[in-house]
Amino acid sequence: MSTAARRTVPSGSEDGCGDRTTGPEKVKPPASLSVVYCGGCNPQIDRGAVAAELAGDKASGAAPAGGATAGDGDAGGAAEASATVYLSGCARACASGHRLTSDEPGEVVVAGELVDGRTTPAHDIAATIRQKLKE
Amino acid sequence: MPLRTREEFIQSIADLDLQIYMFGEKIDDYVDHPVIRPSLNCIAMTYELAQQPEYQDIMLATSHLTGNKINRFTHIHQSTEDLIKKVKMLRLLGQKTGSCFQRCVGMDALNALWSVTYECDEAKGTDYHERFTRYVQYLQENDLVADGAMTDPKGDRSLPPHQQPDPDVYVHVVERRDDGIVVRGAKAHQTGACNSHEVVVMPTIAMREGDEDFAVSFACPANADGIYYIYGRQSCDTRKLEGNDLDIGNANYGGQEALMVFDDVFIPWEHVFLCGEVEFASPLVERFAGYHRSSYGGCKVGVGDVLIGAASVAAEMNGVAKASHIKDKVVEMTHLNETMFACGIACSAEGVRMPAGNYQIDLLLANITKQNVTRFPYEIARLAEDIAGGLMVTMPSAQDLADEKIGPIVEKYLTGQCDTPTIDRMRILRLVENLTLGTAAVGYRTESMHGAGSPQAQRIMIARQSNLDHKKELAKALAGVGTPWQKEKLKTPAASADA
Ligand SMILES: Cc1cc2nc3c(=O)[nH]c(=O)nc-3n(C[C@H](O)[C@H](O)[C@H](O)COP(=O)(O)OP(=O)(O)OC[C@H]3O[C@@H](n4cnc5c(N)ncnc54)[C@H](O)[C@@H]3O)c2cc1C
Repeated sequence: MSTAARRTVPSGSEDGCGDRTTGPEKVKPPASLSVVYCGGCNPQIDRGAVAAELAGDKASGAAPAGGATAGDGDAGGAAEASATVYLSGCARACASGHRLTSDEPGEVVVAGELVDGRTTPAHDIAATIRQKLKE
Repeated sequence: MPLRTREEFIQSIADLDLQIYMFGEKIDDYVDHPVIRPSLNCIAMTYELAQQPEYQDIMLATSHLTGNKINRFTHIHQSTEDLIKKVKMLRLLGQKTGSCFQRCVGMDALNALWSVTYECDEAKGTDYHERFTRYVQYLQENDLVADGAMTDPKGDRSLPPHQQPDPDVYVHVVERRDDGIVVRGAKAHQTGACNSHEVVVMPTIAMREGDEDFAVSFACPANADGIYYIYGRQSCDTRKLEGNDLDIGNANYGGQEALMVFDDVFIPWEHVFLCGEVEFASPLVERFAGYHRSSYGGCKVGVGDVLIGAASVAAEMNGVAKASHIKDKVVEMTHLNETMFACGIACSAEGVRMPAGNYQIDLLLANITKQNVTRFPYEIARLAEDIAGGLMVTMPSAQDLADEKIGPIVEKYLTGQCDTPTIDRMRILRLVENLTLGTAAVGYRTESMHGAGSPQAQRIMIARQSNLDHKKELAKALAGVGTPWQKEKLKTPAASADA
């Protein structure tokens, strides 16, 4: 999927806006799940919290080292190898190049309270992503 | 079939033998009726421009179904660029016709149904999307006009469809058969209905349990058995029967609305796209309204271009074009007009690819577009009337100008800036009248208000999507709400200056 704004950032900040390890291209982290954030100008969901929950470090609040990756814990597992989550704060879906779904296997698109185009309450987003990556 | 020409289109509408009533009479030769013909010319313009190389970049699109070049009005948008070109196409047509050219409602209906039928199938295991895909391909291959029929007469607005004393005020299913359904009811305010080959019907409001018979979407030929049309009056419409072009203001083009009645019309299953799935009425209404609200950021702007031009020419003819307040008013009209365009472009540029693969406008920005459209054309019209002067509504008639005795008097006293022939001054003032309170005002003013939903409908959508919690968090963060107050660090300004 081509994206307008590809950035890989560490999760754990309030809405994912802070403390970026940014670059024009998505940095492939060592772990198996990468997160591509939008720019965060109109977040309707807490993107950082979703990424942190995926990383399994929600309780500690710490960002995983090496960027927005989640290969361990709940989010981990072989089924998720080289998976990508496009994480946009609102339905404009900037992280995924304005697409509400991806044509590529192993990619999940979050756009506000939509996961792959389906309305999903904010608190269920991470679990829904995990489920999709296992399917 | 290749793209139709303007003449082929007009002939194809004549061939339909539609059941049209006007002024209490059935109208047989409707394509040549002087009240109807200008509206037909408007849709014909969508065919004419599609044939001209200098307009094809925006008038044509490539079908994602066949790969063929098609008229953009039958296209399912495949990118944000498509959405932007749609807005530009509508502006162009508004400029060329100075009227509502009617063909966008069907296009917006097709695009809304594309994603809703897909999502309904995903959720309910129905097969609407496949049928709908075949239908869209049929429209594209035959270069047809589809009327987008959403608004029901609605009776008592405080009651849901199934509680109306007369259920016919909402189109509904009266019989389900093995081969299809039978529908009854009416659709009100139908733009371009008598100039269309096909009718695409959608529910008009969100529905709930009990409304199953009313949650129905389907398509049928405009001349299906049991459909008839009662032509809507427009302010000053009978001037078109007077046999002269002067007093009409815009003699060749105009809009059209009709009351469309379904008197037990049979619809084969192949053309049914929703039937009883109440939960999909709401997304269909929202998406159609969203597309249509964005369309107004094009079409009303094109008509606005004509009105700004007309007001400026009137100012020249009155000899006031150089006055600073006139120039400023023209700037203000332009600012309002381009603001609507900016909104139309913005909601298109921020569009998204839906799970069904088509592109949809950003709904919040589309609602903002339409909310502005409920206001700005009124202000532009007010400024145009200011600039034009009172003669636009008090001028003697064309018959007076033509009269041997009275004509020279009219000529003498209606002279403006001396190089301008009086007849031309009268023409431009009649055009301003036509756009601000004549036949075209139906499209430029009241349709701007109610078309695609009354202002409150947009405000509900804006409230729903405004992301207010985020705004509150931004304010709290900057103001320091919730952080401990370090009172001990307080200094008086004087003390800190001394320090
Ligand atoms: C020129 C023109 C062309 C049009 N073309 C088309 C077309 O091609 N296809 C189509 O389907 N439709 C078309 N429409 C219809 C348009 O969408 C409707 O006019 C619009 O939805 C408003 O409906 P209404 O006219 O029945 O007004 P109403 O619904 O009666 O609204 C009048 C007022 O009542 C308020 N109101 C209505 N219901 C409620 C309620 N339940 N609670 C509180 N307040 C309420 C409204 O907000 C508004 O202020 C067109 C309209 C016009 C004027």
